[in-house]
Amino acid sequence: MSDQAPIVAARGVSKAFFGNLVLRDVSIELRPGRIHALLGENGAGKSTLINLLSGALQPDGGTIEIDGRPVSGLTPRTAQRAGVAVVQQELSLTSELSIAENIGLGALPRRGGLIDYRALAERAREACALVGLDEPLDTPVAALPLGRRQMVEIARVLYRRPRVVILDEPTSSLSAHEAQTLAGLVHRLKAEGVAVLYISHRLNEVTALCDYVTVLKDGTRTADQSLAGVDPQGLVRLMVGRDPGDLFPPAEPHPAGPVMVAVEGFHAGQIRDAALTVRAGEIVGLGGLVGQGQEDFLLGLYGAIPARAASAKVGGLARCPASVAEANAAGLAYIPADRKREGLFLTHSIAFNLVLPTLGAMARRGLRDRGAESATIARLVGQLGIRGDVRRPVQALSGGNQQKVALAKWMPAQPQVLLLNDPTRGVDIETKREIYLMLRGLAREGKAIILLSSDTPELVHLCDRVAVVREGRVVTTLERDALSEEAIVGAAMGVDRQAEAA
Amino acid sequence: MSRVMTLLRHRAMLTLLVVIAVWVVAGFARDGFASYGHLRYLLELAAVIGLVAAGQTLVVIGGGIDLSVAAVITVSAIALPLLSPAGDPTGIVGFVATLALAGFIGFLNGAGIAALRIHPLIMTLAMATFLQGLLVLIAGGSAVSTDNPLVVWLGSARPAGIPAGIMVWVVVSLAVLVYLHRTPGGARIYAIGTNPLAAELSGVRIGRVTMRLYALSGLFAGLAGILVLGMNRQGYVGIGDPYLLSSIAAVVLGGTSILGGAGTYFGTIPGSILLVTITALITVVNASPGWRSILFGTLVLVLLLLAGREQRR
Amino acid sequence: MRASALYWRIQRRRNRGLTGLFLVVLAFLVLYVIQFPGLLTITGISKFTQNWFPLALVTMAQVILMLTGGISLAIGPLVSLGAVIAATTMTGTLGVGGGFLAVCAAGLGVGAAFGAIVTLVRLPAIVVTLAGSFIIAGAALLILERPGGSMPVWLSDLLAGNTPTALGLLVLILIGWKLYLKTPWGLGIYAAGENPVAAFRAGVPVHQVKIAAYAISGLLTALAGLFVAAQTGSGDPVIGTPLTLNSIAAAVLGGAGFLGGTGTMRGAILGSILLSVMINVMFFLGFDPMVQYVAQGLIIVGAVALPQMSRLWRRP
Repeated sequence: MSDQAPIVAARGVSKAFFGNLVLRDVSIELRPGRIHALLGENGAGKSTLINLLSGALQPDGGTIEIDGRPVSGLTPRTAQRAGVAVVQQELSLTSELSIAENIGLGALPRRGGLIDYRALAERAREACALVGLDEPLDTPVAALPLGRRQMVEIARVLYRRPRVVILDEPTSSLSAHEAQTLAGLVHRLKAEGVAVLYISHRLNEVTALCDYVTVLKDGTRTADQSLAGVDPQGLVRLMVGRDPGDLFPPAEPHPAGPVMVAVEGFHAGQIRDAALTVRAGEIVGLGGLVGQGQEDFLLGLYGAIPARAASAKVGGLARCPASVAEANAAGLAYIPADRKREGLFLTHSIAFNLVLPTLGAMARRGLRDRGAESATIARLVGQLGIRGDVRRPVQALSGGNQQKVALAKWMPAQPQVLLLNDPTRGVDIETKREIYLMLRGLAREGKAIILLSSDTPELVHLCDRVAVVREGRVVTTLERDALSEEAIVGAAMGVDRQAEAA
Repeated sequence: MSRVMTLLRHRAMLTLLVVIAVWVVAGFARDGFASYGHLRYLLELAAVIGLVAAGQTLVVIGGGIDLSVAAVITVSAIALPLLSPAGDPTGIVGFVATLALAGFIGFLNGAGIAALRIHPLIMTLAMATFLQGLLVLIAGGSAVSTDNPLVVWLGSARPAGIPAGIMVWVVVSLAVLVYLHRTPGGARIYAIGTNPLAAELSGVRIGRVTMRLYALSGLFAGLAGILVLGMNRQGYVGIGDPYLLSSIAAVVLGGTSILGGAGTYFGTIPGSILLVTITALITVVNASPGWRSILFGTLVLVLLLLAGREQRR
Repeated sequence: MRASALYWRIQRRRNRGLTGLFLVVLAFLVLYVIQFPGLLTITGISKFTQNWFPLALVTMAQVILMLTGGISLAIGPLVSLGAVIAATTMTGTLGVGGGFLAVCAAGLGVGAAFGAIVTLVRLPAIVVTLAGSFIIAGAALLILERPGGSMPVWLSDLLAGNTPTALGLLVLILIGWKLYLKTPWGLGIYAAGENPVAAFRAGVPVHQVKIAAYAISGLLTALAGLFVAAQTGSGDPVIGTPLTLNSIAAAVLGGAGFLGGTGTMRGAILGSILLSVMINVMFFLGFDPMVQYVAQGLIIVGAVALPQMSRLWRRP
């Protein structure tokens, strides 16, 4: 089946932004009935390639072919008409409109110039059934949780009866159940002869689902081959070009330091009646399915949302901090998951981002001390290995380097407690390794680290202890020797391990 | 940040060059336009806009907007005679009391925006409406005149040939520039204007910074009101009205992004002078009020269109 | 059967957030009627809607812009422009029909021009309409330097006499808006306002949708001017001035947001009634007009702050 002619293909395309070549002579063929994986680190050019295939951008060189014919000046509208549909990574729904209206938007059925709501309801219902969305069609999207919105996004694509479906990291916000529905759906599309392009950082998913892979590295194609007989380890070799065995730095024995965080009867946001203790030099994980309240745990400790506890020691405070500024003063620092929205000032310079939290401490007689600031910046940039002008806006950096800036800006403040919210989400393997090394180093220096992660292997290999959160409660705390992926996932899903053992 | 800053300083220089070019051309085209006395007069008028726009610049960089400046100017101009006790030969009491009142009004704006989470447009608009009514209740709608010596001095004295108003503007300009570019507080304004969420999570006390910004905006508007009163010797309802739009226009012409997070008072200074110059040119043309208004709006729009290319993000 | 009901179910959903506001408006109206039972006569209803009609129109105009993520600070001058065009043309050579067309053309043209500058040149709406307000105000002054001109008496009687014509017109305009929202371009306003990039990728013609919204908004504003001219029987080049601020206040009272994509026409109607009733009640209770300003400022802040505060209290 996959021997058929490609529906959409890129032939030797190149694309530059502001003189910066992000794609160089890349070719890809999307054939009917084939699930095609597109892999690459962040900044490798995946998004740009998707945008070229879907008409959101035009190539500077090379051509896009549809059904074997080169097309110039492809726009999202014409690409849609040719049957190319994209499920975007960032959600693109209109929250005020209903599920049905969102699904149809841009391709609404009309009768006499007006929207034909009857036809819309019929076709939207079909699309929803395919992705297992059973909410009423009139529900405003604003009322849906993140995972369900992602499913609406996919239903919107199916509604258009596409011949090519591009899925850009579709499972990052899905529950395990929803991810399964999606996998079933992708197989079904394949059987119907649809060409699927699948982008994911989850390599298990890719090997389980996909038939063929194209790997991008720094804007060029480094692999284009069948996936038959390739396992996740093999995929990593394709991407990195070397063995992945040493991804996690080995655990080091360390003496138990003084208690830095100890809360009991802790309430914050979704979190109910939780307890947690973290000592200096420890890395304690927060695990569980996405959106069970782990984030509220961190934000509550950090004073960013109201929190209360029966008894609390948080850094230098004997209670929960009432504000972020108080938490900072008590020796806490927080590294958010969404660095672009919550961590960085994208249009400002690397230097500005690095010194902002400690400006006040570095000031002399109320005025900024430029000398001290430059020295600090030079030191941090050296440690991070960021080359080039620190006056560049931070948005010019790659995703991995941005994450390092978001982490490093706290170092001059010398925090005793680090709260990390999924620091490696959407980060490529190289940067992941560097972040793991940084965390190990920080723990060795005696920092107390709380690591929230959606990546279970990360929790298993890095943490001294993992608290698993489900529905706002800490359901179990697994010690070092009890840590395994099965144990964490089991607790997260609510599988009763005692009952299982008995 | 420094690279962005150089670019913006560049922008400020551009605006200044435009002003000088206009002055030179107008000076040749019309006798007396480029005379020292006339240019000094223009700068004196620009000082008032510049003072109002100082507060407006801070607020806009911080991601907000202050639509109550005109009302605060009027309130200050009318309240000053009432707040000046007859027994004070220096006039300082009335001056300080009026500034305190103006700053307090601004602080209330900031408190509403920070603590009650009211959108700045609505909060400052409602404040303007509120003050408008309060004024007439207090002053009864008739014009007031002042003999406060300090204020009269500010409005008319020319030590060393330079009007006192211009001197006040220079002092305020230096203070604002130091605050914005040389203190941690200034950097925090850029931070909350660019990304309030990231600023809060980086330990910036957003509420405190916001209240300070709007209090400063009120304070500077109050100072402008006192200056206008001193120049006119009379205060009346509506005296501040022209300055709302001028202050916002000066900020935007100076290259500060109305969306917040980027810009500098370096640009607002020539922006204020440019506005006054445009107005003076239009007066010279001797057109009817309708044409004057159209010319003013068109020129501002054209300048914005020209400047707009750099405003895109 | 179930399928055709989708439209109405969506409509009902959209009412939900407005129940509180609806009750407040109802309470005010009941109070008003108790105070002035004359309101329940045809004349009473006519006069009430006539007082409220211009504000209702400009609030709708403002909400449409706020839905696209924009705002207009030129509402007042454009109302004045509509009024002076009507007062100088309708009894002149153009006649009523020609004058009406002239007012419509001015509104659509000004709106479309604003829309084009905002979307194509990408200048912030607040700045463009601010500069534009000077141009429009100047144009109004050119047409009529001081209050004057005249309106056909029959038209004044029809629109602002003792018949509820204004109410009927309002219903017609609302139906028109409903129909527009049932077109892809109308629905596109919400998507284009909340997330223009995503809307563009979904195939919504974002630029055209926005420019059309600005044009419609301009049309409604200019028509409000025509109505004001009919009400006063003449044109006044500054008569619209207070409506800029009032339109924003009423839009926000009605639940429209500044970031685009939030707001409804029924919210605009309720918000404008609320503001209008408050002004009326204070007027009839013999308040000094200036006290009205004070009260208005407080009420706007209160109305916006109260829901925020209750949300804050509910959270911990």
